[in-house]
Amino acid sequence: MCLGIPMQIKSIDGFMARCEAKGVERDVSLFMMQEDELKVDDYVVVHVGYAIQRLTPQEAQTAWEIYDQMLADDPQTRPEAG
Amino acid sequence: MTINAKQWLERIHELPYRGKVKIMNVCGGHERSITMAGLRKALPDYIELVPGPGCPVCICPEEDVFEAIQLALHEDIILVAFGDMLRVPVNVAKTQARTLEQAKALGADIRPIASPTEAVSIARANPGKAVVFFAAGFETTTAPVAAMMVEGVPENLSLLLSGRLTWPAVAMLLQSGTPGFDVLIAPGHVSTVMGPEEWEFVVDRHHIPAAVAGFQPDSLLAAMYSCLRQLDEGRYFLDNCYPQVVKPGGNKTAQAHLAKAMNVYDANWRGIGIIPSSGYRLDAAYSSHDARKLFPSYADDARKRAGQMPPGCDCAQVVLGKIYPNECKLFGTACIPRNPIGPCMVSDEGACRIWWAGGMREAVSKDAKQKAVG
Repeated sequence: MCLGIPMQIKSIDGFMARCEAKGVERDVSLFMMQEDELKVDDYVVVHVGYAIQRLTPQEAQTAWEIYDQMLADDPQTRPEAG
Repeated sequence: MTINAKQWLERIHELPYRGKVKIMNVCGGHERSITMAGLRKALPDYIELVPGPGCPVCICPEEDVFEAIQLALHEDIILVAFGDMLRVPVNVAKTQARTLEQAKALGADIRPIASPTEAVSIARANPGKAVVFFAAGFETTTAPVAAMMVEGVPENLSLLLSGRLTWPAVAMLLQSGTPGFDVLIAPGHVSTVMGPEEWEFVVDRHHIPAAVAGFQPDSLLAAMYSCLRQLDEGRYFLDNCYPQVVKPGGNKTAQAHLAKAMNVYDANWRGIGIIPSSGYRLDAAYSSHDARKLFPSYADDARKRAGQMPPGCDCAQVVLGKIYPNECKLFGTACIPRNPIGPCMVSDEGACRIWWAGGMREAVSKDAKQKAVG
């Protein structure tokens, strides 16, 4: 439950943002990031629909490369898993 | 220069042998990364990796799950909860609903959600109906719940809150005199929200090396290497091996939301008991959204095994790192992910489920220990 996912901000409307990762889009609350001046194209770590911290593009890219590897190795997430 | 996981492993193997070192993590995400990356096999034999209290679903009081089930069955409400909570069994007769999932099958309106924002949307879409959000979680999850309350929720949305803090469980282990670990890997996203400083007490008061780690093997191995070096040199400090996300002081806005919407109190942990200053409850200013005040209590002190783990289940010992998942006599036999007995086999953050998913499925005696299968 405590695992955050790096996502990129696509649009912002008030405290809500549309964020994207790996082609999947989600509504994300920026209510816990009021001290950061976030803008479109920035990266954030998202946990249960709330951004909890900002990331650089390089950090987001690295995180996703490693997550991809972990998901590929996880029998629960492989298509053939029973 | 970036050092990858393989290079960290090489550095760890180059360190001098020192006798057994137990490294505890207190985050289901860490345990998942460790298990899925096969770090136990890759590390030197003298290192034992111990999963500790890192699963909020596993320690959510049985009475709270029971209360949620009864509210959903007997009150005219929609009950929403994070998906993991729906399969946690309580101790009732087999003829009664043992999980929220079973209560749903009996007709209760129970809906899994992935975000507090979904609870708000469901409440808005059903203005004539009371919506109760059963919210269990550690700081990383409870902060967004607090943010939801501070931002403002519809009148018909209330909280059945089972929020917990991570560090007090570690403090309890350390104060017990038999913590069961020599090194602590501190949780990455809890520290992102609360600040890494929360873990300084491990080093300052208990003289145990500690490092905050992220969820990638390179960050976890960097944290382990840092702590092993600290042991070598006898110079202990709290290291931050996840600096790209964990900033000094943490997320101040999130902490402000927590402080405004919630109070910290001495809270019950399933199968473990009361841990001082370890729980969040709603502040009185939000009592009109406190499900514990809005609805009757269904607590029944006479209920058999109320508050306990299921019969034969060692989840409490697993959560505290006293035994490994495969040392529980139910593990992999009576208790499997498809038919979980204890909460550690239910949750994706439970050590039992993670070990099962990672292929560490054979039960072993307490003497054989994890290396037999790990």
